[in-house]
Amino acid sequence: MNRWLLVAAVVVTLALPPLLPERHLGTFVLLGLAATVTAGVSMLMGYAGQVSLGQASFYAIGGYAAGLLTVHGVPTLAGLLAAPVVAAVAAVLLGAPLLRLRGHHLAFATLAMQLILLSLLGRGDWAGGAIGLQGIPTLPVGGDLGYAYLSWAVLAVVLVISRNIVASRAGRGLRAAATSEIAAAAGGVAIGRYRLTVFALSAAFAGLAGGVYAFYLGYLSPGSFPVLLSIEFVVMAVVGGLGTIAGPVVGATVIVLLVQALNTLGTQPGMPGYAPSVLSYAVYALLLVVTVLYLPRGIVPAVTDRLVKERRP
Amino acid sequence: MNVAEVAGLTVRYGGATALDGVDLTVAEGDLVALIGPNGAGKTTLVKALSGLVRPAAGRVTVRGRLAQVPEGREMFGDLSVDDNLRLGGWRNGRGGRDTTEIYRLLPALDGLRRRRAGLLSGGEQQMVAIGRALMARPDVLVVDELSLGLAPLVVTDLIAHLRTLNAERGLAVLLIEQNARLALDLCRRAYVLEAGRIVLHGPADDLAHNQRVTAAYLGGPVR
Amino acid sequence: MSDFLGYLLTGLGIGAGYALVASGLVAIHRVTRVVNFAQGAFAVVAAMLTSSLLAAGLPHGFAELTGVLTAALAGLLVGLVAIGRPGTTPGTSLIITLGLGIFAYAIEIVIWGDQPRSFAGVPGVAVVGGARLQAHYLLILAVTVPVFLAMAAFFARTDVGKALSACASNPYAALVVGIDVRRMGLLAFALGGALGGLAGVLTTPVQQVTFDSDVTLLVNGFAAAILGGLTRPVVALGGGLLLGVAQTLIAGYGGSAYQLEVALVLMLAVMIVQASRRGAVPEPAR
Ligand SMILES: Nc1ncnc2c1ncn2[C@@H]1O[C@H](COP(=O)(O)OP(=O)(O)OP(=O)(O)O)[C@@H](O)[C@H]1O
Ligand SMILES: [Mg+2]
Repeated sequence: MNRWLLVAAVVVTLALPPLLPERHLGTFVLLGLAATVTAGVSMLMGYAGQVSLGQASFYAIGGYAAGLLTVHGVPTLAGLLAAPVVAAVAAVLLGAPLLRLRGHHLAFATLAMQLILLSLLGRGDWAGGAIGLQGIPTLPVGGDLGYAYLSWAVLAVVLVISRNIVASRAGRGLRAAATSEIAAAAGGVAIGRYRLTVFALSAAFAGLAGGVYAFYLGYLSPGSFPVLLSIEFVVMAVVGGLGTIAGPVVGATVIVLLVQALNTLGTQPGMPGYAPSVLSYAVYALLLVVTVLYLPRGIVPAVTDRLVKERRP
Repeated sequence: MNVAEVAGLTVRYGGATALDGVDLTVAEGDLVALIGPNGAGKTTLVKALSGLVRPAAGRVTVRGRLAQVPEGREMFGDLSVDDNLRLGGWRNGRGGRDTTEIYRLLPALDGLRRRRAGLLSGGEQQMVAIGRALMARPDVLVVDELSLGLAPLVVTDLIAHLRTLNAERGLAVLLIEQNARLALDLCRRAYVLEAGRIVLHGPADDLAHNQRVTAAYLGGPVR
Repeated sequence: MSDFLGYLLTGLGIGAGYALVASGLVAIHRVTRVVNFAQGAFAVVAAMLTSSLLAAGLPHGFAELTGVLTAALAGLLVGLVAIGRPGTTPGTSLIITLGLGIFAYAIEIVIWGDQPRSFAGVPGVAVVGGARLQAHYLLILAVTVPVFLAMAAFFARTDVGKALSACASNPYAALVVGIDVRRMGLLAFALGGALGGLAGVLTTPVQQVTFDSDVTLLVNGFAAAILGGLTRPVVALGGGLLLGVAQTLIAGYGGSAYQLEVALVLMLAVMIVQASRRGAVPEPAR
């Protein structure tokens, strides 16, 4: 049954882009990218027990890496491939000191990391400063439709990698580490290394998504990567269900669709100018709070549990 | 009349049953011992009596006030001895938090008033824990592991205090002890708890000569 | 030299604001082990409300007090959601406060819009020992110092203050002696709200406030509080003042405004040093 669900999901995803009206195609692309970043956050939180409030940093690093390289004449494909690599290398360098921290310390450290990055980008003339980096070439994928398929292909790759990680020995070790560090250490799990690996991998996911984003928009600025974006990824991961494969996709989809619907509502004539942003803040906040209080494991585990129960009454 | 009483008490932690249909009473002015091996459920019973765990089944009735000397002493380590004692009287309201009386009862604490409780020796901490429990002006005092980690002389001293409190103020005591000899010496009645069930109970003298008790808890038959 | 004195006093005034935010974080964290990500929002709400009340013609003092009390109420509400449900772990509560901090954005924008706001404080320039600085900084100090003294007295002398410390020191023992630990946690949240609110109303005349100013306030407050491991109010005061002075001196002599970066780098350094001292022992779960 699970397999049929997967096949159905793939078919729908493949069939959807040509059917979508032009103005929704962009949402579809961004949804694929958001789910890609969220897959990393979900893995980080679910398997390594780490709250990262700075995942948008790696999204930005990937984006700027791809953008800067190609602006300076590197071929676009090489730029795209460099994006996850640069993000992962940055994660390894940053992670070595930061991952000594746990819990709220790590949350603040990752937040600090992003604020520092934003300030560096905002002041760095080499990166276009606060105005941003312009004139990034586009990928030869044939316009928005091509980007729609590309972003979801990227998501598919990332999900397959996540799945393999989850099933691997390292994945089991990490899950143990997330629940009890001492127990995992006693069991001979080299937590530090696994943790850093997952951190780097999640950064690579974000970096790859960021690369696609840079080519898709053709323009980047520090303002595209606010702290709030990092929090949005956390919300998507938590709502979907941490440490699950489908969770990031479900979480991102639910939230993007809701925000999109409310955005449409908020821009109706007669609505105050602030309505769209207020509505989206409220949605993120309420979904996050309600989920952790009443559906602490997220949507996907809750639904799977129900299905399993129904089959075995 | 019973100051504390549990009937058919069952407590579960998740799936594991820690107490299984336990009946136990402590009468006014009584001295009751509860002995049993590690993991038998003694501390769980104390928690149930103090309302800190919810019974899955059965009843817990406390008439009057119950105070406990918790397992492991559980000091407010960052606070002074005097503050620890004062907070023992938290339930009494502002008027009932005067510590003078406790220093008279346990003079050893007098010199320690301003010391940080976390830095005291084990015996001193146990004394504070007893003083803190007495601050609640209890009708029944539950002491979980009186002797753990303490020198024999200190234990003798504490036991003497409990005896005095019992004799002079009619304070009922439920004493939980690994040192069964000590508990059976002090108390009039005793219960033996094993794997969550009361397997024996009766006058302490009888239990002290019970074969099963002597073999398991008193290191062989009495000579 | 008088430059230096001016920077120093200005820095102390700015740092006092951080210290208030920090002590709010500490008050909440000590008792509940929750790091309150909505702490900056208390300052924003209090400041915005005060600006509205002043604009409506209410007198100074009354307006500020109303702002602070409203922030205390906001603190209580955040506490109710964050720790009100039995069995909520500190980690979950942290995520909840993060959500509530964002929810505050929605409320703030609806009520006050998304433009920066400010209001007049103590007008004019003061001259202290030859140094000139905005007189309002002196008011910030004149309020913050007594507030910290009063808090110290509250924790050291009153039974409720001791009960709060008791919950911080040993929550299980607190339950044993009959202290309602959750109620104390809510009280801590209300206190944290009031302290955050006070920071907001005191600093807004010299530093205008926007709905998303909370991130800066929160980060600076956390940087100040982390020096004392989020448990020691006095160290938080020292940390806040130090941070304020360091930022002002760097801005004054360095000529550039790397203020937030100073706090961020300091915070990272402190945390990493603390972690390596602890030998990366996992935090005690509770
Ligand atoms: N919070 C808890 N969660 C799960 N299981 C628990 C918890 N507390 C106690 N237990 C289990 O319940 C059983 C009884 O524990 P309890 O502490 O009551 O034993 P005890 O008789 O006091 O032992 P000891 O003499 O070692 O103090 C044990 O098997 C213990 O592992
Ligand atoms: Mg025990």
